[in-house]
Amino acid sequence: MESQKIELSKREHKPLQVNPIKHSQPMGAALAFMGIRNCMPLMHASQGCASYTKVFYTRHFNEPIAMYNTSVSDITAILDGGDYSILMAIENITKKNKTLKPEIIGLHTTGLTETKGDDVRSVGTHIEIPYCYVNTPDYEGGMESGWALTAKALIVQHTKAATEIKPNKLLLLPHVSMQPIEVEKIKEFCEGCGFETLALPDLSTSLDGYLSEGQGKLGTGAIGVDDIAELANSATVVTIGTSMIMAANALLQKNDKINHIHFNHLMGLENNDNFVAQLMKIGQNEPKSSVKRWRGRLQDAMLDAHFLIGSSHFVITGEPDMCVGMCELLQSVGGTIDALIATNYSPVLETIKAQNVFVGDLEDAVTHFEKADLVISNFHAERLLHSQEKHTALTLRGFPNYEELGNQLKNDQLYEGSAQFLFEVANALRHVKHGR
Amino acid sequence: MVNRAKIKELMNESACSHSKDKKPGEGCDMPKPGMAAGGCAFDGAQISLFPYADAVHLVHGPQTCLGASWETRETLSSYEGRDHTSMGFTTGITVNDVIFGGDKRLADSIDYIMQNYKPEAIFVYSTCVTAMVGDDIDMTCKLGSQKHGVPVVPVHAPGFVGGKNLGSRIAGEAVLEHLIGTKEPELLTPYDINLIGDYNVTGDMWQYLPLFEKIGIRVLSSMSGDGRVGDIRGAHRAKLNVIVCAKSLITLCRKMQEEYDIAWISVSFYGQRDTSFAIREIVKALGDADLMAKAEAVIAEEEAKLQEKLLPYQKLFAGKKAVLNTGGNKAWSIASGLQDLGIEVVATSIKKSTADDVEKAREYLGESGVLMKSPASEQSKVIDERGAHILLAGGRSLYTAIKKKISFIDVNQEKKVSYGGYDGLLNLAEDLKYAFANPVFANVSKKAPWEVA
Repeated sequence: MESQKIELSKREHKPLQVNPIKHSQPMGAALAFMGIRNCMPLMHASQGCASYTKVFYTRHFNEPIAMYNTSVSDITAILDGGDYSILMAIENITKKNKTLKPEIIGLHTTGLTETKGDDVRSVGTHIEIPYCYVNTPDYEGGMESGWALTAKALIVQHTKAATEIKPNKLLLLPHVSMQPIEVEKIKEFCEGCGFETLALPDLSTSLDGYLSEGQGKLGTGAIGVDDIAELANSATVVTIGTSMIMAANALLQKNDKINHIHFNHLMGLENNDNFVAQLMKIGQNEPKSSVKRWRGRLQDAMLDAHFLIGSSHFVITGEPDMCVGMCELLQSVGGTIDALIATNYSPVLETIKAQNVFVGDLEDAVTHFEKADLVISNFHAERLLHSQEKHTALTLRGFPNYEELGNQLKNDQLYEGSAQFLFEVANALRHVKHGR
Repeated sequence: MVNRAKIKELMNESACSHSKDKKPGEGCDMPKPGMAAGGCAFDGAQISLFPYADAVHLVHGPQTCLGASWETRETLSSYEGRDHTSMGFTTGITVNDVIFGGDKRLADSIDYIMQNYKPEAIFVYSTCVTAMVGDDIDMTCKLGSQKHGVPVVPVHAPGFVGGKNLGSRIAGEAVLEHLIGTKEPELLTPYDINLIGDYNVTGDMWQYLPLFEKIGIRVLSSMSGDGRVGDIRGAHRAKLNVIVCAKSLITLCRKMQEEYDIAWISVSFYGQRDTSFAIREIVKALGDADLMAKAEAVIAEEEAKLQEKLLPYQKLFAGKKAVLNTGGNKAWSIASGLQDLGIEVVATSIKKSTADDVEKAREYLGESGVLMKSPASEQSKVIDERGAHILLAGGRSLYTAIKKKISFIDVNQEKKVSYGGYDGLLNLAEDLKYAFANPVFANVSKKAPWEVA
């Protein structure tokens, strides 16, 4: 098919999706709950919703996945307002596995349970375990908003209001496409600048490819419900990704003394310089010498990579908060973005300067593949690229990646990750441009 | 729309061996809140029909149903046109469709698909949300079919009606109602069979189809591995239905027997013994003396060829003992394959097995074999007591292998090569050879410096 000009819009441009890249809100919520310590992610859904999600993450992360569901049937869909299925599910799970000691139950809805109109707010009063609910119908939004809504719900429902702040306490709110290692790197970076740092959700100790016994029963994230309760005394909240701003706003409601700083992403020299400058202003500390060293390495990487990237055309697909960072980093070394195809609408897409920016699927994206030198997309793009004659390179990013091992330990953030990203892209380009 | 009477009938299938253990009217288990881990009815329906590469599979529902599941199954196809099995199509309904109904979107999607992809048929899957808001999928499909002149088949298996198995049955009903008997085959032979329930995962069918060809058995249609919609429409002219390793499509076979007088048999193609047995059963059912003689000749030739190729492996595996922890018919079918390779299977799981499966497992393992009712707690002990060298189980049992420092194969993981037919045994043997030689489980089990006292 010929490529047609598709405008950026909240409305869809066709009645269906062919080869979709969009993932659902409940999937984002489930992942967020896995980033909470001893959380039992419970999907209020028919068994298939949870089964698909579990298989999806198991294959993407190569890890056992903690996931439960309320197995709504056609009968309970009509007769039950939700309380029965949810309470029965909790009872059955804890009865079957007596050693399971969840510190919090993370309940989220789906298209099915939102359509039937369950009110899941009050179920928590019938159980002794702390409970967090989030409404995530899969006929609205996407993975990115499901994740963000969950972070917001945790703050709204579990963070105690405060009037005082701890000057060096910092909360990081990372967007959904951030890998476990990336959350860890940014946390370490902030800690290196002297901040007591927490992340919400925190996947750095969950799904990070770590061998331990009894995995896949509860979330193993690095932040607990006790930590979440005390978040309102943070002096600073840092959002990375536009989707997370609503979670920060929820926190500011708990304490108006908190200082909110926002970055659309942490890729490339400019944003990281701004990030460091902001932290220096708050903490009165210079970054560690290794950070300064990495800045120089990134500068060098930009110069080394600019020959190849500067003469190349790119197509990027994925969640908006992830795409915007890659787009701007590549543009900062002269790369031309032919098309950016996002899973969902986000206001951040309006800021991107590229020929084609729109919400779509791989059927739309593939019309731009032929002219591109390199595509950044999920694993579905691989087969599509194989079937075209021209050799276009592929860098795998985003969900799902069933092809590569160790993708949870790949860092694209900060000075260091940005340099590595440029090298990976440039090397992939050299591969296809050589001998042409 | 979803038909409760039909679902009740499907869940109480008289021809299913599971039903023997149940009280009248009890039927298949409904999912219990919190306990169900497997796929839903929609998942099962999709698995059963998706291998039709010349059809488009359109999922009428919100994002989760298809978004996470397309291009995940290695069901291979030899179809020379555009292969739709590696593609995903969904109406991806939004909040407006939930409020105002999604029929318009569905009709437009059918038009879009016909304009751009021109498939031989479209399967339209209803899902929980579109079933609940009451989209008139039957009518939309009927109109689409009339407009475009190809079958547009509604499949009413929304996830919340039950598990995967029920979904497969519903898919069988849809095919029976809308496709089978709608076209006459161009060519018929006295040796025409339908293959039911093999999805050609990693090319399983291609391991045994060449044998059929040698013998003279002709596959008229397949439901649905490497299948064609045009062929299944003429499936009512076959002499025999052959179910491969699946209970879920028994209802389809029973009904085809009642409606079209087609006999059916159930076979498996795992391991040498099962493959030979399956071929004998098929030719016996077709009832032709020449065919039976030819089958015997082919079996003798193939078994001799295989024996020669297996010899080095059997030498290599002599004295090796295995513990098997997997569900259903795999509990004995993989055991059979391992035994063909000269490995002693000292224990297998019967946790989710039917009475038939247990009987078969006992027959294969002999009196000394351990049939584990709760393998998770039993397998460690069995490994110690019997001195097993390898554990074949799902990923959850990985730790048992590390602790016991023995080899491990994840039998539930999506496999990349076929273990089916005679030659599939060689693939299994190769995997085992490398598994036995791999020291990784013992190496990983070493203590960290800070853990050593």
